[in-house]
Amino acid sequence: MLRHLLFRGLRALLTVALVVTFAFVVLRLSADPALIILGPEASPEMIAAFRKSWGLDEPIWVQYVDYFRAILRGELGRSMRDGRPAIELVAERIPATLALTLPALALKLGVGVPAGIWASLHRGTVIDRAVMAMAVAGFTVPSFVLGLVLVLIFSVRLGWLPSGGQDTWVHAVLPIVTMGVGGAAALARFTRSAMLEVLGQPYIRTASAKGVPWARVIRDHALPNAAIPTVTIVGFMVGTLIAGAVVVESVFSWPGVGRLLVVAVANRDLAVVQCILLLVAATMVCSNLLVDFLYGFLDPRLRQGARAGAH
Amino acid sequence: MADVSLAPPRRALLARLRPPRLPIAVALALAWVVAMVLIAIFADRIAPHGYTTLDLKNRLAGPGNPVHWLGTDELGRDVLSRLVASIRVSLAIAFGATVISAVVGTTLGFLAAHFRGAVEQAVLMLADFQASMPFLIMALSVLAFFGNSLPLLIGLMGLYGWERYARIARGLAVSAGAQGYAAAVRQLGATPARVYGRHILPNIASTLIVSATLVFPEVILMESGLSFLGLGVQPPMTSLGNMVGWGREYLTRAPWILLAPSITIVLTTLAVSILGDGLRDRLDPTLR
Repeated sequence: MLRHLLFRGLRALLTVALVVTFAFVVLRLSADPALIILGPEASPEMIAAFRKSWGLDEPIWVQYVDYFRAILRGELGRSMRDGRPAIELVAERIPATLALTLPALALKLGVGVPAGIWASLHRGTVIDRAVMAMAVAGFTVPSFVLGLVLVLIFSVRLGWLPSGGQDTWVHAVLPIVTMGVGGAAALARFTRSAMLEVLGQPYIRTASAKGVPWARVIRDHALPNAAIPTVTIVGFMVGTLIAGAVVVESVFSWPGVGRLLVVAVANRDLAVVQCILLLVAATMVCSNLLVDFLYGFLDPRLRQGARAGAH
Repeated sequence: MADVSLAPPRRALLARLRPPRLPIAVALALAWVVAMVLIAIFADRIAPHGYTTLDLKNRLAGPGNPVHWLGTDELGRDVLSRLVASIRVSLAIAFGATVISAVVGTTLGFLAAHFRGAVEQAVLMLADFQASMPFLIMALSVLAFFGNSLPLLIGLMGLYGWERYARIARGLAVSAGAQGYAAAVRQLGATPARVYGRHILPNIASTLIVSATLVFPEVILMESGLSFLGLGVQPPMTSLGNMVGWGREYLTRAPWILLAPSITIVLTTLAVSILGDGLRDRLDPTLR
């Protein structure tokens, strides 16, 4: 168990290093940072001085090491638009994004998982087909289309909910529902197939053959085992909490990280983009580690000291 | 007596020649996809107007107009003609990207299966990395660094989903390599490229094609999302996501600008998904 986690931790660090390298390579390939930061009007002397002060005249591997060091110290550059540190700009947007993504995650889990379990227990019936039809619909409708259709119905025609902005909690309803529907659909599909996989296993037949009530078979034997693959996809959803609302925030003019990213990309504000990229990579890696940790709890084969054949 | 004994084989032969019966959903999906492909190919002849032609007298005309069947946008451009042009661009990008990603992924998968060891570990790590990062964020970063152009966009979308082909191709090639036919051609002195390209690839192609039909709708959704954000296909070119993005400004006054491409996106992704599921059931029961 400990070795497993240690191995996973090393791998996570390697992933972060890979993202940092990716950012470094792309940054150096795309253009001369001196020109980007100083602008095209800068004089050759200014550029030379800048290159010297930022170490751009050093060999590339020295620059690479320096780049790594700077990132480890949390120096992620300044926004080209107002000169503020990129990390500050990003950090102040995070609460607004979490205000959408956390309730949306709750909605996905609260609707998707039960719907998937319900469908799997009624395999082949009308319930199963209805849930799966809704899941496919939720999966094929892109979030911007769903968001705009919801605005068209609930804001324009009915006038019940505001179409954009961030003044009260009512403003968050449509964005949260928009994000929740797609995720719930994906989760329902996934949970259903995970459950069906488990329900076909011999130990389920054994349990019900030896007289365990069906409800207990589901609760004690099927659900914990089906949870193992489902946790993976939920982990991915947790990893996208910080920047998973790019499209929805744009639809509803919500001032979160996603909106910041889109504006930064359009303006080629590289420091901000890089900061968000690294932040997303870090959250993704952390949530993957969390998933691995949870695996340890859920899968008795990985738990230290578990007796063989516990299930 | 002779014709009695002949009857069953003839019936069996006829049954084999008859096209397999399709479920209604799959047949409808197939019809829709074929229609979309034909529209994309013959876009220039189908479109009643040029997709950038202005008709300033008929701005924001509603659908059902005798000249502009699906109405016009804020500059009086014909929505139907723009829709047809958008279908062509969106499908071309999705198709190009799917081909790139299938080729890249399969090649990397074969390399991993052939060399094993460090190469295999590197490919698997890259695949893990790709699968664990949200694609939209990576795509946006690359667009921010390099600016936007159509070849870059297609290349970028071509990175979508490669890790799935790589994993499948690696797994299947490893098991195929252990089978007699691969060993036999290798013993006969075939080069690795010949073994993989001429012998293993045809044997695992059906699984890869099924994966491609499952990835294709996701590519359409991803491209339309990027274009919706204004960071994908750039004007004067138009794509389905682009139309929705611009139509959003006129959501209250002219919802048809946005609804026509939205419905097209949804129906197309739905149709390709249904087709993919149908193909999977028919060609490759192991993927279920």
